[in-house]
Amino acid sequence: MELLEDAQLNKHVLSTGCEGIDLLLQGGLRMGQLTELVGASSSGKTQVCLLATSNVAKKHMDGVVYLDTGNSFSPQRVIDFIRQNPDPAIDQAKHRILQKVMNRILCHSVFDIFTMFDVLHQLEVNLRSQKGDCQVRLLIVDSISSLVTPILGGGGSQGHALMTSAGFLLKKLAHEHNLVVLVTNHTVGGEGGISKPALGESWKSIPHVRLRLSHDQGSSIYNVSVLKHPSMASGKAARFTIYD
Amino acid sequence: MEVGRLPISASQRGKLISAGYTTLSSLSSLSPSDLALGAQTAWDMLHEDEMFPRITTSCLDLDNVLGGGINCKEVTEIGGVPGIGKTQLGIQLAVNVQIPVDYGGLGAKAIYIDTEGSFMVERVLQIAEACIEDMTECNGLLRKDFQAGQLKMHPNNILENIFYFRVCSYTEQIALTNYLDKFISEHKDVKVVIVDSVTFHFRQDFDDMALRTRLLSGIALKLMKLAKEHGLAVVLLNQVTTKYIEGSFQLTLALGDSWSHSCTNRVILYWNGNERYAYIDKSPSLRSASAPYSVTSKGIRNSASNCKRIRMM
Repeated sequence: MELLEDAQLNKHVLSTGCEGIDLLLQGGLRMGQLTELVGASSSGKTQVCLLATSNVAKKHMDGVVYLDTGNSFSPQRVIDFIRQNPDPAIDQAKHRILQKVMNRILCHSVFDIFTMFDVLHQLEVNLRSQKGDCQVRLLIVDSISSLVTPILGGGGSQGHALMTSAGFLLKKLAHEHNLVVLVTNHTVGGEGGISKPALGESWKSIPHVRLRLSHDQGSSIYNVSVLKHPSMASGKAARFTIYD
Repeated sequence: MEVGRLPISASQRGKLISAGYTTLSSLSSLSPSDLALGAQTAWDMLHEDEMFPRITTSCLDLDNVLGGGINCKEVTEIGGVPGIGKTQLGIQLAVNVQIPVDYGGLGAKAIYIDTEGSFMVERVLQIAEACIEDMTECNGLLRKDFQAGQLKMHPNNILENIFYFRVCSYTEQIALTNYLDKFISEHKDVKVVIVDSVTFHFRQDFDDMALRTRLLSGIALKLMKLAKEHGLAVVLLNQVTTKYIEGSFQLTLALGDSWSHSCTNRVILYWNGNERYAYIDKSPSLRSASAPYSVTSKGIRNSASNCKRIRMM
């Protein structure tokens, strides 16, 4: 009963800034849930992350924490997205407001899984003692697979243990602090030449929502389909465009 | 209340105390962003980006699609069929990073990691001489009214500023990647690391593919960290292979799917008829575009309208 109340009061939906994805997800990314974006290289995962970042910082006016493992966080691209939907209020005091929006986005460069744990634990402490000037709403890890792949396999089980505890920590942060947690994962070759998400079977059950992205070569049209969702059938798909 | 009494992990307590916060009252006035050691806001990152100039490729069209040239703090992968000019581009970048700040360059040094043995010193000398010739010409054109400041660069200086490493096995490659951090801390003016090619030692005789994936992703992370922490550009040259996709064999870059996620940007070099083209395959901020370029005796230059590939009659 309490869970139902909590779900209705606190766990709202955050728009990604992209209509196609929002429609597919019945409104957007849900707070309290771990959403995974899976896709081959260049399929738009980082672009969706940057778009969601700009949307949360600009429209929802909440804080974003971006963990970047591949030096792919592009402040210029975030500004492009912010400028895409011109808001008359923003145009007037342009520079100052842009600065305020950009200051809500915090980017950490993490290059190994232990640093990621440190950053997440620090974030946990900060969230518990929230000072109130900027509420963190979105946590992005782009990409979690590059942190896990070097330690997964090879006879020891430490890699699996670290991966699952990372997953649980992210879900805990999402649930306790009403965050939207978004992670990206890449694909590997599977049987018969069909690609499948990386990180294997143990990771499969950890995210609440799994979305698969792909990109039509040479165009700006992307496809997204649902691999797993707690309240929707998998296989539902949509298309969306990301403009330059 | 003492920081030492707070219920946080030992490592965090240590960090707070070493940063000078010993009581709770000293912490209460800070905002979470101040405490986030090692993080930056997007605004700061935007302004920092403006301080890092890009490394030109000497081909204007290619520079344009790259947004000015190869970007520092990023890992750029360049791949293509044999003979397309990957090593030539690598050598051109090793020379161009040394262009003095006055001429719009970085005035920095380069590290060239050779795994295939394709680094020809005579060719580097040729490209270096051509680069100095171009700069002197530019000097002559732009600074007519000033006292002609003699360009004090000699091709030998350029050769001196390229640190060359020859790697003969994958273990050496991994060891060198680990050693680079220390080397670059001692030679802080290195601004580009070129690996030619990153594929060579991982292609033949690798029985355990899972091990290969782990090793490569480990190397990728270390190079990313190197690029970010020292603010330099990492350029990885890759070979091609065929892959069975959607019912046909297609050319793709080697080292597999996992490796394709290990770079920030990817440029694919290919032949279009008799012209060489470069295509931006992956980038967080650049549009997908193609640009023609050519390989001349002076190095990489803009492509002329006549074809460059010699046809055997």
